Amino acid sequence: MATLELRNLVKRFNGSAVVDGIDLTIPDGAFVCLLGPSGCGKTTLLRLVAGFIAPDAGEIVVGGTRLSAPGTVVPPERRGMSMIFQSYALWPHMTVEQNVGYGLRLRALPRDQIAARVATICAATQLDPLLHRYPAELSGGQQQRVALARALVVEPQTLLLDEPLSNLDANLREEMRFEIRRLHDEFRYTTVYVTHDQGEAMATADLIVVLRAGRVEQAGTPEEIYRRPRSEFVARFVGGANVLPGSFAGLDAPFSIRLEDVALLAAQPAVNGTPYLPGTVVRRVFLGSARDYVVEAGGELVRVTTPPHVDVLPGERVWLGFPPERCHRLEHPSAGE
Amino acid sequence: MRPALALRPASRGGSVDLSRGLFVLATLVLAAMVILPLGWLIVTSLSGPQGPTLDNYRTLFTDATMVRPFLITLGSSAVVAFACVLVAVPMGWCVARTDMPLRRQVRILVMASLVTPPFLGAIAWELLAAPNTGFLNQLARAVFHLDRAVHPFNVYSVAGLTFVNFLYTFPYAFIFVANALERIPADLEDASAILGARPAQTAWRVTLPLILPAILAGALIAFLQSMTVFGSAAVLTLPAGFHTMTTRIWSLFQFPPKPALAAAASMPMLLLTLGLLRAQQYVLGRKGYALVGGKGTRRAIVRLGAWKWAALAFCGVVLLNAIVLPYGALLDAAFVKVPPALPTLANLTLAHLHFVFFELDATQVALWNTMILALGAATVGTALALVVAYLVVRRAVRGWQLLSFLATAPLAIPSIVLGVGLFLAYTRPPLLLFGTLWIMLIAFVTIEFPAAYQQLASVVSSIHPELEEAGQLLGATRLRVLREITSPLMRSGVVAAWCFVFIGAIREISAAILLFTAPTRTIAVVIYDLNESGDTGSIAVLGLLLMVVTFAVLMVANRVPVVATAAEELRG
Repeated sequence: MATLELRNLVKRFNGSAVVDGIDLTIPDGAFVCLLGPSGCGKTTLLRLVAGFIAPDAGEIVVGGTRLSAPGTVVPPERRGMSMIFQSYALWPHMTVEQNVGYGLRLRALPRDQIAARVATICAATQLDPLLHRYPAELSGGQQQRVALARALVVEPQTLLLDEPLSNLDANLREEMRFEIRRLHDEFRYTTVYVTHDQGEAMATADLIVVLRAGRVEQAGTPEEIYRRPRSEFVARFVGGANVLPGSFAGLDAPFSIRLEDVALLAAQPAVNGTPYLPGTVVRRVFLGSARDYVVEAGGELVRVTTPPHVDVLPGERVWLGFPPERCHRLEHPSAGE
Repeated sequence: MRPALALRPASRGGSVDLSRGLFVLATLVLAAMVILPLGWLIVTSLSGPQGPTLDNYRTLFTDATMVRPFLITLGSSAVVAFACVLVAVPMGWCVARTDMPLRRQVRILVMASLVTPPFLGAIAWELLAAPNTGFLNQLARAVFHLDRAVHPFNVYSVAGLTFVNFLYTFPYAFIFVANALERIPADLEDASAILGARPAQTAWRVTLPLILPAILAGALIAFLQSMTVFGSAAVLTLPAGFHTMTTRIWSLFQFPPKPALAAAASMPMLLLTLGLLRAQQYVLGRKGYALVGGKGTRRAIVRLGAWKWAALAFCGVVLLNAIVLPYGALLDAAFVKVPPALPTLANLTLAHLHFVFFELDATQVALWNTMILALGAATVGTALALVVAYLVVRRAVRGWQLLSFLATAPLAIPSIVLGVGLFLAYTRPPLLLFGTLWIMLIAFVTIEFPAAYQQLASVVSSIHPELEEAGQLLGATRLRVLREITSPLMRSGVVAAWCFVFIGAIREISAAILLFTAPTRTIAVVIYDLNESGDTGSIAVLGLLLMVVTFAVLMVANRVPVVATAAEELRG
């Protein structure tokens, strides 16, 4: 089994801790996203897992075997892992077929077996017409597929992906994130996926680990992270949210509420139940499927997303509602500075 | 669930990490190459017959025969640097940014003057402008009916030396300027134009400041080259009876030898070189944008109209002096009976060819030595440069900074200074190498190695580390990654570096002139010897042979993709 355990992992560069005491258990066959802004240590963490760098403290254990600890690191080539690099790292002097088959040649498989497996994986990744092309002759999306095929053909226990979609245009990115998830479900390896794009994380992961300054800010299912962010940082970074003083919703601590969960009414509501707060529209943006408002209320600027038919002009008076079941009291308000 | 087909990891057992051992080895070799000669240079310069002394340095500043060459060299080099800028900037601009005809050919000919060894250029200019026999003087006398004693041109003079040095150093400035001009994206100039600047204002306020670092860097290199050159100086100053710094150092090895004074005399040149290179780095480092950034997307081409013929004429005059006349004179000298004389059917001969290849004993030995040395230096130098470049660029070992410092240090050591240092280091036990080919090999490798290192360092850094990591993760050991992924990607770069070292080695004279003995003469040394005895026909044959080999190797290098692309970039 390939349960991946990170135990109190620390990595310092020039004295400052880039990875600062990370504890994490990734179940066998899970799809985990390491999510965070640039500089949060997510790529360093991935390279620690891959074995390219050695930790300064802590250890990495896979399926009960210790792979990394300070001073003793099993080299990358003996970890049974595969990786998709941000640059794809396709070898320009090898054809698609040679790139994909490389890992199998290293394992000294018979020629016909190599050919058969390359054919299988290339069928799964829709590369069969391109076998004899060189990387320079492929589009970005095709290069991405080659990188995937090359990583998967050796049947890794763990697949590591380092911002794999950041070089693709928006449409292709959407297509490839489903492709990556589909292949994961087909082959059931453990996937560790590094990204700064919360949409990618939401769409693919079983488990999202939000990283900040080398530490785990929050780990949970996409739904948990979205619905119950534990800090202002998570609330804002994942999905975007208003963080408002507790008085707005009758709470004793600051709370977060999603943009689409704030109710916006053009007229004073008759019912008393949900507390409503008067405010003034400051900005209105039409987004096609929705409208995005900024409302000044109670000395705060509140962002609200409404259906497109709710149409109020800037400067007009509105009433904002904060349904209690959508208001999430922040456990770590201090983490939001 | 693990897949049923789960494959075992590809590599088991420990893989040997060679990088540490290679690092130690490379560091030792480089240290020996750089520190040993420099150490002896310093020690010797401070020693006299009665132990440690500053006498040598005192002589340097008081003896007129030491001070004068110093001043002549500085003055002449300053003029060369200035002239290089005056010529290279307009020429670079015409080639890079205008619709002047024959731009490519002009560029190729500039490159040809770059690879012409200055001593060969100087010899050619002897044929053209020696006071009595020079072609140009004969021509002038015939046209203007002058007296036989009158000679309008005299190449044996400070002016002559300055002129010849200028001809073979302006290409450095040209390359800097032309490349910088090509890399300025048209957007930058368009942005100025849209704000209302006239073309001249844009040129003055945007373009010129952008290429100013390149101009300065080119001028500094020209100054350095002309200060440290030995070959052309020796050819032109000795008949004229004056010295430059380099020929003065050389003369101190003539009987009676004064190696201590020579060592001291090397110091000002060494320090000046160090200082100027630092200055160049500072200039390029702060404002190097015009040189570094990628190739501009699009560059604005200026339409010259009728002026393009004037521009072409200007470039033509420069290249006439640098290439057409000198090579014409050499070709002529190789095939007429008593050069220099205009070729006629009556005085054409193959006697010089026959003499050089079949009668002159020195040729056989020198050809053989030159071949061995060039092959050896190219192979050893490239291999060493490859290891060092890889270790440094990939930061594969702790202490890579030391290695990178040692690898570029020889750039700051003028060849003749290195020659002095090597002479001092290897004429004493335990390494009595003087008089062997080994000392020449060490000299050539040391001199040419930094260029190979820089070329290969840029090749290694162009190979994304992820390409190697991807191989490693799939199960290849470091060595296997080197063999199957890194090497194929570097092959063309390595061939190019090898060719450059080879070309450098076959023409080296500054250090060789201090280190050779009769059995270890090289072609360049033989040419120099023949020049002393005035045998211009044979010189021309050997000189042309040298150039044929050079161009042949360059052609080979040009067929290699990476050099071709680099050359393509030079051409634009």
